[in-house]
This record gives sequence, structure tokens and C-alpha cells, in this order.
Amino acid sequence: MKAAHFSYHEALNLQDAIKIKAHDDESVILAGGQSLLPALNMRLSSPTCLIDISKISGLNEIKIDGQTLFIGALATHSDVMNNKTVKNNMPCMFDILKMVAHPAIRNKGTHGGSIAYGDPAAELPALAVATNAEIIVSGQNGDRSINAKDFYLGLFETTINQDEIVVGIKYPLLKKGQKIVFDEVCRRHGDYAMAGLIANVMGSKNDIKDLKLVFFATGDKPDVADKTARLCLENGYDYDKLKNSLSTEIDFAGDLNSSSEMKLHLATVLIKKVLSKLEI
Amino acid sequence: MDDIKVNQNPKLGSLDRPNSYIGRSLPRENAKKHLDGGGQFVDDLTLPRMVHVAFLRSPFAHAEIKSINTNDAKKSDGVVDVFTAKEIDEVCKPWIGTLGHLGEMRSPEQTPLAKKIARWQGEPVAVVIADSRAQAEDALELIEVDWAEKEAQVDMETALDSNAVVIHPELGNNLFWTRTVNQGDVEKAFKKADAVVEATLDFARHTGVTLESRGIVADWNKAENKMTIYHNGQAPHMMQHIIAKHLDLNEGLVRIVSRDVGGSFGIKVHVYPDEMAVTAISKKIGRPVKFIADRLESFTTDIHARCHKISGKLGVDKNGKILAMEIDDLSGIGPFSMYPRTSAIETNQVLNLSGAPYVIPNYKAVGTVVFQNKTPMCQYRAVGHPIAVAITEALIDKAAYKIDMDIDKIRKINFIPDNAYPNKCPSGVPLEDLSHEASMDKLLEIMDIKEIEAQNEEDFKKGVLTGHGVISMCEVTNPSPLFYGVGGAHISSQDGASIRLEGSGAIHLSSSITEQGQGTEAIMKQIAADQLGVKMESVRVTLGDTDATPYGGGTWASRGAGIGGEAVLKAARKLKDNILNIAAAIMQTDKDTLDIEDNNVIRKNGGEGITLQKLAETVYYRGHELPKGTNAELLATASFLIEGIPFVFTNSAMGCQVSIDQDTGIIKINKFWAVEDCGTQINPKLVEEQIRGGVIQGIGGALFEECVYDNQGNMQNATMADYLVPMAYEMPDIIVDHVTTNSGRSIIGAKGAGEAGTGGAPAVIMNAVNNALKQVNAEVVSQPITPEKILKALGKI
Repeated sequence: MKAAHFSYHEALNLQDAIKIKAHDDESVILAGGQSLLPALNMRLSSPTCLIDISKISGLNEIKIDGQTLFIGALATHSDVMNNKTVKNNMPCMFDILKMVAHPAIRNKGTHGGSIAYGDPAAELPALAVATNAEIIVSGQNGDRSINAKDFYLGLFETTINQDEIVVGIKYPLLKKGQKIVFDEVCRRHGDYAMAGLIANVMGSKNDIKDLKLVFFATGDKPDVADKTARLCLENGYDYDKLKNSLSTEIDFAGDLNSSSEMKLHLATVLIKKVLSKLEI
Repeated sequence: MDDIKVNQNPKLGSLDRPNSYIGRSLPRENAKKHLDGGGQFVDDLTLPRMVHVAFLRSPFAHAEIKSINTNDAKKSDGVVDVFTAKEIDEVCKPWIGTLGHLGEMRSPEQTPLAKKIARWQGEPVAVVIADSRAQAEDALELIEVDWAEKEAQVDMETALDSNAVVIHPELGNNLFWTRTVNQGDVEKAFKKADAVVEATLDFARHTGVTLESRGIVADWNKAENKMTIYHNGQAPHMMQHIIAKHLDLNEGLVRIVSRDVGGSFGIKVHVYPDEMAVTAISKKIGRPVKFIADRLESFTTDIHARCHKISGKLGVDKNGKILAMEIDDLSGIGPFSMYPRTSAIETNQVLNLSGAPYVIPNYKAVGTVVFQNKTPMCQYRAVGHPIAVAITEALIDKAAYKIDMDIDKIRKINFIPDNAYPNKCPSGVPLEDLSHEASMDKLLEIMDIKEIEAQNEEDFKKGVLTGHGVISMCEVTNPSPLFYGVGGAHISSQDGASIRLEGSGAIHLSSSITEQGQGTEAIMKQIAADQLGVKMESVRVTLGDTDATPYGGGTWASRGAGIGGEAVLKAARKLKDNILNIAAAIMQTDKDTLDIEDNNVIRKNGGEGITLQKLAETVYYRGHELPKGTNAELLATASFLIEGIPFVFTNSAMGCQVSIDQDTGIIKINKFWAVEDCGTQINPKLVEEQIRGGVIQGIGGALFEECVYDNQGNMQNATMADYLVPMAYEMPDIIVDHVTTNSGRSIIGAKGAGEAGTGGAPAVIMNAVNNALKQVNAEVVSQPITPEKILKALGKI
């Protein structure tokens, strides 16, 4: 379990990193390394060059930017969990990140890394989609902003170009009465979920005005269930109806710990679990 | 914590004397070393001219190797050589994993590297020797193998069918071993029974997952004809014999060094093909060779265990008295029986141990062990216990439910009474010094069953399924020669200890028992210091080096304290006797008036004594001052083995309460209780660590761990992310208590304590889950009990 040969480049600044990445199709970005390094060691991935962006200053900034909460790509999960601005503006983030692996991994793993990697079982891509976040990428032609729902194409597949690097994520600030609620079901604490749900809710428990449901660990990317959300809004929680709706809306893909049937069931009960967390 | 209440063994002397260390929870010195990063594991070792290896392993469960081309690999950077079976077989003779004492076993010859046919995914096929492991792995990618994939026999349940793939055609079919035990007349007894219950349980394969993976450095010294092996194993003298035998070396010139070992659990007591290849390579190229298994290799080549399907039947009368029990067990062990202990022992233990705590006058057990194209299976912590205990205790709960009797009551009326030992298991295996009645009483006392039942009911009203269980079990520890030696294996059942007083006054102890993280060194030190009358810090211990320790079996089957500890006790008493004889001569008094306390020879009636240092100085440097003819030996050696009984059994009672989320199928263990009777506890804290650690491994088996295979025989979850072991978050509070019934086989009275947790937890968790599910007429019969299995049982999916 030793990585194949690669060259290593410690990027001095963003432009430096972009330049190398643009010129070498098989180079990859190294940020926290929590997904990349195991893949290298198991020789599942053999890039020519690792471009280490972890020393680039300023990329871990967390701030309010206009009507958004901006989280810099290099902010680690621990940074984000412990940040006051995040806590005040996006209180769900702590609960979500608490479920991302374990402290040692959260101390190294980065926000941008998780967003860019696009693991369908990860929490953050689903959060980005559920909150209508913008993913800011930087490339040879400057910056562009991609809406999270357009960013994820499929299994570990995103719209990011070879010359581009994720530099930060802009989460729209919550409006009055808006809440992000979350739950997931996993075999062990910190594992990838068998199914998870992030709900973007407007209203209160007894008076939900708008509802967006985004599932993770269910298919090949964050799964948006608008039809089911509407059904839930109109009829309230009805297990059979919602299950039936989800089965037509999401292409559940089973894995080692849960069959597609299990995921469908869990996704359905997660709606109940998540809505029960709302205040009356 | 300094608890001496637990030492209730009069043979060990009074408890209020100085240097009374046996029975105290003293801190272990070597824990500090490990916390400080100061341990020395095999991978910490770098020898001059050392090379590294990487194995090309079969990607298929069953395939013909039509040809192997290593030319490009040999030219790769840093590569010293590339070997296939042809080169390795020139220096290493094949082995056969059978023994002679358990009836006919059939397993073919096995060689370090597969020849012509690979029979499991992960079997080594070729090996690259290079300056670094990374370079060796680079070259692996350049080896060209012309594979012809064959159909694999993956499922053990079809392995004996007429259309099964026969893995070793020369054997005619896939049967490795079978045994039938028949005591009394079960057929007749079942007819008389008022209630007969049946169950079929299945247990997934799992593995040991040691923190430190398997590792070996082999160093052949041509000039001295000496082979030195640094190995993280459990039985150095067994390995010494095996390596000498198969590499045709002088056994006396093979040295095995096993320094710090990061967990073993039985995984590291077997002979592995890749490790044998490493020793052969060193012999062939005359350089030190290192192999450290990576985690993927651990999962696909460390032995697996517990792949069983067992059916059982229990008959009781209307008063709950057991009349008969019958079991039929099937196990699949991979393509070879492991060497030298064989892969029959787990099934054998299932047959021996089922029903062991109870009076069962009629008992029949059939065990069948078959070959299949998966990783070889063999003995892992609590060998066979989880299966034997789970089937027994599941049947007893079912019988209790059927005749409407409390689960503790049905057990109590069927126990072999505590005052009825020596006695026998239903299978006929002798038992002595056990305390099922007292242990169950203590368990019920610490559990507070009434409160638990009330909580179960309250939870049910809230829609949560909560249930509990209690079980009893026997634990095989301290084996005698009847375990392996009688069958022809060169595995010592005797262990030795050697203890000396040095010129400085320091005490040096060496023992053939080994340390793998459980605290062996600490308890050996406690016994030696206690029996000799010296401070703990004046004793240093050497373990795990065949050049430096007495000959013996090593640490496995919970034999360290009971066998190795007794040898230390005997050696320390001998040395004390020698010291007092010398002191009597120096002090010109009667030996009986003297004793040793705090490193001084004292006069029991007062008056000036002599320090051990002064005494040693006199002996070593001024021997002429001693009266002529004084036997001035400051070195004593003793040995011990269990005689007259196959094993010294320990017993245990366990209870737990679980809650099940009906929506998600997630099981939460609310609390776990264990009462263990392992006789004298040398260090109660270390005993409790054994129980707790064992319970955690048992939780793994019950709820999480499974080597998942697809139907082509590919292991699907060979990473720590996908193979689930319980982590801190999944560990419940485990309350441990004790009953003490000393073993009459030794002075020290200690029995083993390492197996019970792992052996009993799966049974009590499954019973508690089924107790909870019973409220909605559901049941699970398969381990690990996954959320999906729960939801299926509940009819949710």
C-alpha cells in the first residue's frame, strides 16, 4: 500500500497552482488529503503531480460576504465547526460536520475538498445543493460561480474544469423563518451514512410554507426530491405516499451496508425524523 | 485502584504482608513505554542490507496460473529479484494442516506461493524483492500472469453437493473434517419432552483486525548457519520448530524474537504462506528481508473465523428441566486447513462446548467442515465459543418463552450445581472448579432485572423495542497437551520461567509466555516480586526471544497467567529458598527464622538482616566467605503444565439490555454486565481489560463485523472504512464483577480470562435483541445483526 510515483508541487499562490493544473491533465489538487491519500496508497489513483495548495494563505477565510456566508476552500471541518460566524449564521453546520468522520480527520479535511470531491455519500455537497449555495472556482480565465445544483453531474463527477480550483462556497444567509434541518442513519458514528437528508424549510413544524429535500448516500450525487417535498407540504407525512413518491423520484443505489430497498425506506423515515426537529 | 479483596487464595500467603502484589490493580510499566512511542515493533526494525518484499496475490478466488512472466518486473528500479513458487520451493518444503488426534482430516499440501492454481483471492503467487516496499509494489504491476479463471466454490452450504466445484480433485470432494458426538439417546429423550424448540443461526465470517498488522524480518546468517526471525507472533518456540523443519535448518540455530506485538487475538499464532516465503527468500539471497502486511493484505490473508451455520434442538419437561439437546454445525474454512493447528478446532469447540454449563443427559452434536474458495479460516479469540454459546442460549430462551418461565430461572434449575464438580460437559469433556450458580446470582444482583423489565415495558409504550438477556458460559483456557501436542503438533503445553538475583541486587525474570499488549509482563513481574518478597521495580522481565527465555508454548488460549504464571511462582519460590539457605549460612541461623521483605532478608523475630544486594555481592564477588559446600545458586528455573484434564475451564455470566429503533433498525446496547470467575486475579484491572476488550470484540461479531464476499469469491469490504469494527461511540458501559473459584490444578489458582467476553457477548446481545423483538413477534437468527436484518424481521422492508 505505497503510492506510485508522483511529483509534488507546493503551490506558492493560486495562480501558480492553476498554471500547473492547466498544463498537466493528470495533476490533482492536494488540500487536506483525507480522501486523496488513501486512494493514492491503494493505487486507485495515480496522478502525475500533486499540487499542494495547503500553504496558500487566505484560502481558509470565513466571512459574511453580502447576503452570503463565505467559507474558504481550505477551512478545515474543525475550523468551520468552531467558527462563530458560522455558528451565528448557519447553526446546522456544527451538527452536520459532527457527523463527518472523526476529530483527527476533521482536523485535516477541508470544506472545499469535500465539496470538490463530490462523494455522493458526503454531507456537504447535499448541504450546498439544499441551500442553493454557489461554488466559487478559480481558473485561467478568472473566477466563476457555479450553483451547487449544476455543479454535481454524477459519481465523483463535477462541472469543474481541469484548470479550475474550488476557492470557496457561498451559502445564502438564512431568511427569517428559514431553517436547515438534518439527519442521517449510519451503522457507526462517523461512518458514511446509509441515507441522509438535509431539508431547507421555511416555516415552523405546524406551518411549513416551503420545503426542499436533498438526500445523500442514496444515489450517485445529491438527490433533490422536489416532487416528494411538494407532496409532503400538501398532505403532511404519510409514509406510504412519500415512499412511493421517492421511489419514482430517486434512483436508489444499494451499497455494502444497505440495499436500495433499505435506502428508500430510510429516506422516507428520515423525512419524519428531520421534520420532527422543527420547532412548533 | 488497589483492590486486594479479590485474592482469596490461601496458598498465596497473607494479604497484609509487604510486597503482596498478587491481586492488586497495579499500573503496568510497559503501558508508559507505548504511550511514549517507545515500543519496538517489527516494522521499527531496520537491518543493514535489508530488502523489502511485495506479493503478487491472486485477484481471483479460483484460477489457473497458465504462465507468469517476471522479466519486466526484474528490470524495474530497485528490484533485487522476483520469485515464483519454483524458486521458493527450492528452499521451503510444503506443509499439511492436519493433526492425528481428532479423527481423519483431509487437507492437501500447501506451499508458500501458489503453484499452477490459486485458490483464494489474496493467495500469494509471486514475490518482488526490492530496496523499498514502494519499488516492490511498482514492479508488481509489471508481472504478467496468464490467468484462466475457474468457477469458484464460494458458498459452504453447496460445497458438498454433487455439482460442487471440487477445490482439490485428489480428495474427491470438499469435505475437510467431520465429527459426531453422541451421549445418551436424544431421540428417545425428545419424545419424552413436554416442549421442544428449534433454532438455526448463522454467523458471518469475520477476522481479528489487529492494530499492528502481521510482520516479519528474516535474517539468514550464512557464516553462522543461523536464522534470526523478528516476528510479531504469539508462539516463538512453535515458529522456531516450523521454520527449522521446512527450511531444513538446525532448530537450535533458529532464533525467533517477538518483542512488542500490537494485538494478536489468535490471528498471529498460525503459519502464513507469505511469512514462510520471506524466510525462504532470506535463506536464498542471504540478506535480511522485511514483510509488513498492509491492511488490504490483512483483510484478505489474515485468518478469518466464525463462518458457521448451526441448527439446534432442545427438549425440556414442563418444569423446565432440559432432557436433550442436539446440534448440527456446518463451517467453511477456505481452501486449506491452516498449519499447524488445523482449521478443525473451531468446529470441535462448538461440539465440545455447546450446553456446557448445564446438566443435559442426552446430547448429540454433528460438525461438518468444508473447503471453499475464500480466505482460510482458523482459530481466533474465543475459538468456537460464540457459536456454541449463541445456539445453547438461544434455545434456552426459546424453551423458557415456550413454557412461560423466567429466563434466569430456567438457567438456574439446569446448571451443573457449583458443588457438583468435578463434572462433565454434555459432550463429555471434563469440568472442574466452576461457579455458574454463584456467577448468575451475582449477575442478577448487579443487573437489577426488575428495573430492567420495567424499563422495557415503558419503552414499548413509547414505540421503542427494548429487551434484555442473560447467559452463562464455559470458557476454554489453560490447555493441556491434549489440545495440540497429542495430535503431533510441536506446540509446547509446558511453559518455563527462569529467575535470578544479580550482583546489583536486581531480579531478572524470563518466561516463555509472550506479551501482545494484554499486560503479560506486568503480571509476571507481580507474581515474581510477590513470591520473592521484593519491590516491583527491582524486577525486569524478558519475554519473546528463543535465545533468552525458557522453552514453552507462548501466549494463546488464555494460558499466560494460569500456566506461565504458575511457572514464575514456582521459580520465584525456588529462588527464595536458595536465597534463604545462603542467608542462613551467612547469618549463621536457622533458615526457618528468616524471610524476605522489600529486598532484604529479615529475621522474623527481629534483629539485623541482610540486603539482597549484599547477599548477592557475597555470593558473586566474595564466594570464599561462604561456608564450604554452600549451594550458592542465585538462579532458579521452573516449569509447569496442566496435567490430568484437557483444559482448565473458566465460567462467566453476562447480561445486557438493548433498544431497537423501529424506523432505522439501529440497535443500541444500553448497558452490559459481565461476571467472570477466573480464579485468582493477579491484576484485577488487567482481568477487567480482558473482559471489556473481549466484550467489544463480541459486539463486533454480534452487530458489525463481516467479511463480505460476492458470489465470485471477491472480498468486498477489505478496508477499515468498509469492514466495521466497534469504535468508542459503539461501546456501552460494561460493568464487570467477579466470583472467585480457584483452580485446584495450581498453587496460583488462576484460570484464563481472555475468551469470555468475545465468546459470550454475541449470544447475550442476540438474546436481548430477540427479547425486544418478541414484543412484536419478530426474530433475528443471523449475525452480524445489521439494521437491514432488523427492518426485514420487522417487515419494514
